[in-house]
Amino acid sequence: MKRLGSITIVALLALAGALTGCRSSESGSSGTAAAPGVTKEACPNAVDKNKGCIYLGIISDLTEGPFRALAVPITESQKAFWARVNKNGGIGNYEVDVTTYVKDNKYKPEVHNQVYQEIKGKVLALAQTLGSPTTAAIIDDLRANNIVAVPASWTSAWAFEDVILESGANYCVESMNALDYAKEKYQSKSVLAIHYAGDYGADAAAGAKIAAEKLGMTYSHVQTNSGAQNQAAAIQAVISGKPDLIILTTGPAETAAIVGNAAAQGYRGRFIGTSPTFNPGLMASPAAQALTLLYESTAPWDSWETDTPGHKAMREAIGNPAGGPNNGYTSGWVWSYPLKAALEKAVASGTLTRESLLAAAKGLTSVDYEGMLPTGAGNYAGGVDGQVKSSAIYKPDAAAVTKVTQVKELFIGPTAQSFKLEKPCFQMTL
Amino acid sequence: MSVGRPLLHTSYASDMALFNTGTKKVAFAALLGVGLALPFVLTDDILLQLASACVAAIGAIGLNLVTGYAGQVSLGHAFFLAIGAYTGAYLSGDRGDFRAMGLGVDNMLVWLPAAGLVAGLAGVLVAPLATRLRGLYLAIVTLGLVFVGEYILTEWNGMTGGLGQGRRAAKLSLFGYRFDTDGPLLGLEVTRAQKLLLLMLVLLVIFAIAARNLARSKVGRAFSAVRDRDIAAGVIGVNLARYKTIAFGISSFYAGCAGALLYTINGRFDAGQFNLALSVLFIAMVLVGGAGTVSGAILGAFFFTLLPRFTRDVIPTVAPFVSTSSTEQFNVFQLEGILYGALVIVFLIFEPRGLFGIWIRVRNYWKAWPFSY
Amino acid sequence: MRTFLEACTRGLGQGSVYALLALGFVIIYKATRVISFAQPAFMLVGAVLVTYLVGPLGFWVAVPLAAVATAGLALGVERAVVRPMVGKPAFVVAILTLGVDQVVRVVTNGFLPSDVRHVGDPWGLRTVLIAGLSVQERHIAMLIATAALVLALFAFFRYTRMGLAMRAASYDQEAALAQGVSVGAVFAVSWAMAGALAAVAGVFSAVGGSVDQLLWIITLTALPVIILGGLDSLPGAVLGGLIVGLVQEITATYQSNIGWLGSNFSYITPYVVMMLVLLVRPYGLFGTREVERV
Repeated sequence: MKRLGSITIVALLALAGALTGCRSSESGSSGTAAAPGVTKEACPNAVDKNKGCIYLGIISDLTEGPFRALAVPITESQKAFWARVNKNGGIGNYEVDVTTYVKDNKYKPEVHNQVYQEIKGKVLALAQTLGSPTTAAIIDDLRANNIVAVPASWTSAWAFEDVILESGANYCVESMNALDYAKEKYQSKSVLAIHYAGDYGADAAAGAKIAAEKLGMTYSHVQTNSGAQNQAAAIQAVISGKPDLIILTTGPAETAAIVGNAAAQGYRGRFIGTSPTFNPGLMASPAAQALTLLYESTAPWDSWETDTPGHKAMREAIGNPAGGPNNGYTSGWVWSYPLKAALEKAVASGTLTRESLLAAAKGLTSVDYEGMLPTGAGNYAGGVDGQVKSSAIYKPDAAAVTKVTQVKELFIGPTAQSFKLEKPCFQMTL
Repeated sequence: MSVGRPLLHTSYASDMALFNTGTKKVAFAALLGVGLALPFVLTDDILLQLASACVAAIGAIGLNLVTGYAGQVSLGHAFFLAIGAYTGAYLSGDRGDFRAMGLGVDNMLVWLPAAGLVAGLAGVLVAPLATRLRGLYLAIVTLGLVFVGEYILTEWNGMTGGLGQGRRAAKLSLFGYRFDTDGPLLGLEVTRAQKLLLLMLVLLVIFAIAARNLARSKVGRAFSAVRDRDIAAGVIGVNLARYKTIAFGISSFYAGCAGALLYTINGRFDAGQFNLALSVLFIAMVLVGGAGTVSGAILGAFFFTLLPRFTRDVIPTVAPFVSTSSTEQFNVFQLEGILYGALVIVFLIFEPRGLFGIWIRVRNYWKAWPFSY
Repeated sequence: MRTFLEACTRGLGQGSVYALLALGFVIIYKATRVISFAQPAFMLVGAVLVTYLVGPLGFWVAVPLAAVATAGLALGVERAVVRPMVGKPAFVVAILTLGVDQVVRVVTNGFLPSDVRHVGDPWGLRTVLIAGLSVQERHIAMLIATAALVLALFAFFRYTRMGLAMRAASYDQEAALAQGVSVGAVFAVSWAMAGALAAVAGVFSAVGGSVDQLLWIITLTALPVIILGGLDSLPGAVLGGLIVGLVQEITATYQSNIGWLGSNFSYITPYVVMMLVLLVRPYGLFGTREVERV
């Protein structure tokens, strides 16, 4: 019992220490001093100690969530991207730090919101906010505080948000391109969308539905959940419906389960999946043969090995990543360009605050993606009409470094070309 | 009830009083004072977490009524939280809002009790299970409720706004006064976080006192009798079916209210939250806090709500050498998860009676201080 | 009819994995009266270990080795954190095992990099024709493996000293202790066996598919299985697993014909079946009815 006295005191001290965040130290959202997340002092590990520092936050799925396999490479790639920016002279008189405020959201909206609140006062903008339900949990606050954020998802809802700096074609448009491609190449007449619930799956399924109506194909859909073992219903829908074309918006393990089992039960139609449905590891799976035969994937930008200045810089900066190169690295890299452009513009304007950064972001008419996206991409001033609509088609290839080879270069199908986004696609009733 | 010698009760009424010792009165007043002062001392991010903890405490008190007092272990709490959350959001949601339909009744005084009542009704409907099953069988059957509920919610897009997208939580508005925006409160200009904490604290106090009152009533004594030996309780004339039904009803009422309030702090929620993990979290709050006491449930709720924050803050300070690169093994994010699990383990081994048990030991130590025995 | 029978073969295959998982829970429950929520983590550990061992050693060596290693891990966990809790309320221990689950799974996830990993099984997704039905080889393998393990377990409990001791301890710990049974050893062996079973179940869940960090979710299906069969009944666990597997797969096959159930009703069929059975038999199909004295 002797210990209890000291334990009490230690506990009280620990409590007092843990709650050190005093109100007075917070400058509030409308501080007149330096903007939050911008300091005169150099960044930790700065290249040039004489420059100031811009702190950017990253909130990603780093340990237990379902998208960890993509989130980790995205995060590492973004770190490499901003390290390269710093090495090349930074942004005006500043360097950028994206390593101090990296937080794990476990893909839970409430955790996302909590860690966001913790770093909110210390960062200028978010270099990554991964996931849609998670980002939805902070979007009101982002808007209220003029905080610009780079999403790590491709939902069509981002077209309607000023504070979100999205890149590449959204899932809805990607599916339209997939249908146009299948119509032309395979003369498909019926399509089945197998999709997750929510804005990832439902967005793609809605795109497939719009395109199917336009192209005169019969459309049906089945919603499925994550977990490779949970795909019995989806597989059954494939076997009994025998559609010509299947649009997949699931995760990689689910893709392998669906394609592999459907093929094992005698299905011989075509599968086209969005980019998150593929992972190089699948080529070692029992479903590899079926995937090679029946499956292709769409992508909003070209893969790791492509020969553009941006891809080259990325490969140099990242080197040979653990676990091999994959889509995540490319995505993290591409997503970072618009924020860099907005920061440069805001710094050039003389004042660097959240407001000026948002104004700069809103006013961007094009972003230099170093060739990774077609010229003209990044037209945020154009709002919904400025959206990028191009997709590329890949097929699995066990011999390639990233296990995919390109079938069709970035293209905009006729359906997507004439499509006008009026509200987020997933808000359609399927 | 005079503040005299401790533990000396001269009447049954004083023994059973709400605050049966003078110290409790003083401590309660002091804690309440500290609680009301906190919003003006701490930063907004901590305030929001404390507000979440207050709401979680309401839910934990509810679970404690059925599990701690009446002895019926329920893993179905997430189901009742969901019912409350969606009832509240549905009543106060905007009419004609795409998909996530609503009735447009903003007033908290309407939707909060309604959320509780609907969940309570569901609890009453589930209660017959409890009269038939006990122990782990009951726990896992109530877990079945969570899975069935989760399934209904994933299919019912009109109510949930679709998995992954979700809908707006209930509006914290009282006769037109909004608690979820920055603005004046009693003449003071305060932020949303400050308002939220004050509101949730007041609600917590109301719900906690109500629960403590219930526990010292005839119903509360019947609960304890059922928990300690339900057959014996039946023999001495406690109507088992009736009291198990009451326990589930009231517990679910608390869960419903907590569910409706919980997501007002984030503003949005989606159907993916109401799963096994949420139920288990609440059971853990009750057990780690100390089953069968109101203050234990509150302690447990605060412990589990603030623990992730603690692990996030403590690792970079005590172990700055840990890698922050998420590709390396044993990076800081993994350590957070490991520390969370390890703290729960170590804690339960050290003090299986929970936080409340530690409190009793500390109290007894200081009561006798400077004499150790 | 063909569709129905083929669904049955898939259901039996899947069900035998559920049976293995359920056996793990029941063995621990019988010995310690606790439901161990650490089983999901052990299952993941087993599967991940095999993905690493299969390269150098081959599938047939890797699986038993992983099972032994997982059993060792479970043994360590039991000794280090569960043993001090003997005599504490069952639900407190259950929450403690949740802490174990969290720690072990986070560490294991660290060994699952951004890549999808595979157990390198010899069956893949190949099918054979049996009596005109196309049956997946992996489902046959699952069924045979489960049958072999169940037989081995039966023999163990029936014919070995340790098995006898475990049966004695599960009837009455104090009496067993008085008769010279080392109850501590019984606890340890129970956890080790459950760990090994979970590891094998993990591998077979990943056969024909891949190992990702969500693999553990299948373990949750074992919970209704053990309740369905009766918490303390080994035959109940096996039969319950097969029933749940069958019902789930048959529902998955025909649910599109019953539109109002929604598109994925098969996810929750284990729970629905469990609830229906419990309405009739409150202690499951084979569970021991508790005799209460006041």
